[in-house]
Amino acid sequence: MSRVQKSVALRWLCTLAALAALVIVLFPVYAVIVGSFESTETLFSGTYYWLPHAATLDNYRTVIQAQSGSVLTSLIVGLGTAALALVVAVPAAYALSKYRLRVTVILVSSLLICQIVPSIVLATSLFIVFHWAHLVNSYPGLIIADGTYAVPFAILVLRAFFFSLPNELMHAARVDGASEWQTFRRIVVPLARSAVITVAVFAFLNGWGDFIFALTVLNGSTIVPITLGIYTYLGNYSTDWGAVMASAAFAMVPAGVMLVVAQRYIASGLTAGSVKG
Amino acid sequence: MNIKAQRAATVPVPATSARNGAGQLSPAGRGRRLSAWRRRQLAGWLFLAPAVAYLLFAFALPIVYNVMLSFEQTSPATIAQFTAPFAGAANYRSVFDDPTSRAAIVHTFVFTAGSLLGQFVIGFALALLFTLRFPGRTLARSLVIVPWLLPLIVTGVIFKFLFQVEGGAVNQILMDVGLAHHPIDWLDDPHLALWTVLIANIWLGVPFFTLLLYSALQDVPVEVKEAALMDGAGPWQRLRLVIVPIILPVIEVTFLLGFVFTVKVFDLVIGLTGGGPANATQLITTWSYNLSFQVFNFGQGAALNNVLLVLALICSPLYLLLSRGSLRSSSGAAR
Repeated sequence: MSRVQKSVALRWLCTLAALAALVIVLFPVYAVIVGSFESTETLFSGTYYWLPHAATLDNYRTVIQAQSGSVLTSLIVGLGTAALALVVAVPAAYALSKYRLRVTVILVSSLLICQIVPSIVLATSLFIVFHWAHLVNSYPGLIIADGTYAVPFAILVLRAFFFSLPNELMHAARVDGASEWQTFRRIVVPLARSAVITVAVFAFLNGWGDFIFALTVLNGSTIVPITLGIYTYLGNYSTDWGAVMASAAFAMVPAGVMLVVAQRYIASGLTAGSVKG
Repeated sequence: MNIKAQRAATVPVPATSARNGAGQLSPAGRGRRLSAWRRRQLAGWLFLAPAVAYLLFAFALPIVYNVMLSFEQTSPATIAQFTAPFAGAANYRSVFDDPTSRAAIVHTFVFTAGSLLGQFVIGFALALLFTLRFPGRTLARSLVIVPWLLPLIVTGVIFKFLFQVEGGAVNQILMDVGLAHHPIDWLDDPHLALWTVLIANIWLGVPFFTLLLYSALQDVPVEVKEAALMDGAGPWQRLRLVIVPIILPVIEVTFLLGFVFTVKVFDLVIGLTGGGPANATQLITTWSYNLSFQVFNFGQGAALNNVLLVLALICSPLYLLLSRGSLRSSSGAAR
């Protein structure tokens, strides 16, 4: 009896520990949501309120007026990054897993190295290269830059998935007279659906959340993603916290949506040994 | 295999002529087979072409150009021209003579080592917690990855909000529970700011460690754990002598990946401190950004970039070694 009681107590102790960890993990998100409804007076009162104090929608009014264009911009960039990653990575991953090519080992090693290269190294050069290629301050330029997070990761994850498809499948298609492209398009891609979704979700989040390339290859005038929008609210001496919190709340929406809708894809993508940032 | 079988079926070859007539039959057969092989190679290359073009433009070109830039005397005027006068090692000399660059290198080491240590200890503890059965464990496990999904600049900004001197949640709770008697200047005290950035980055990286270590712990065979229990090993002994050695390869990979993305951290610091106060939180990344994009000295920025690149790539042989499984399966055989 006491043994059972002890084990029950231990279980609840674990729950308590997990709860404490979750409070720390989730508190910043909670703080953004509460902060986004606080009035400017509350935010600058010098006291932190754990619960909403004199809630208002003023911050959202300000931000929707000033930042709805930015939300749209970030959506375009996120979707563009996902599209780029898929167009480039799906066929490449297929070639690197199902064709015996001499470059496979070199290319896969380069992809592993690419994931190590810090973004600032690329950003410095890309700014000048883009200047020369007329890609500064353009959607294609930003999407190409943001693809540097997503493309190597996408190829490696998809390649690992393609290994799990039996070769007989492709042989059978060829015997039936399908061309290499038809085999890829009609047989391989549909079967890779879940891996493709995983890769697309991550590429979208990379494009949506990118800050360093938005800061460097855009000039901040016409194309302003939400991340850059938040940054411009940060003043050296006076930060408009209400507006910052409301736009941060918008910036967190895709992560929340993905966590609810695409939970299993996220979990599988993360354990695939992802490298972010 | 199937193609060959089919061809054998459609082209009946008398058993007797197999040896003698080989010279006659084989050229046509080999020619066809060769062309099929060539077609497949060509298809493979076409599938690869977009990726190769992309990698050349978005990785190879910038990396090579960054090396060129670091040996050039750049100015805002030379940016439009794509090339600038050769400057020898002048940029590297100025970078290593500059106290802020040197401090940024030291900060990067401290920041990386501190982050990895903190992330590992907390991440491992959480991973162990999640292997136990308790109510709410699945939900807790799925929510713990939230920090990993947020845009990094947002995380930086949120922590700036939470670590404010007045009206910041952190100071508020420390004072409410009596751990601090006066507000702590987390972000504006040059001696403290780097630690604040470190805390934020540990918060950010723990989920990654937790997730990878948890999935490794799941793979430890139950029999091994039970055998250790039978032999009378205590929990600490079981962990140190049985579990850790088994999951050591995953721990190594996790550290390596953690290292790779900690030396790259940029957004978090820009959002939280902007490298200040008095450059106390400048990392190589943020100072390189400052050199290139604030004072428009792209040559020096590129030189510092290369220092960072070398630092990041130091571990790449180890990385490739640990990823050799993924390279080996490239021999084409399906699993």
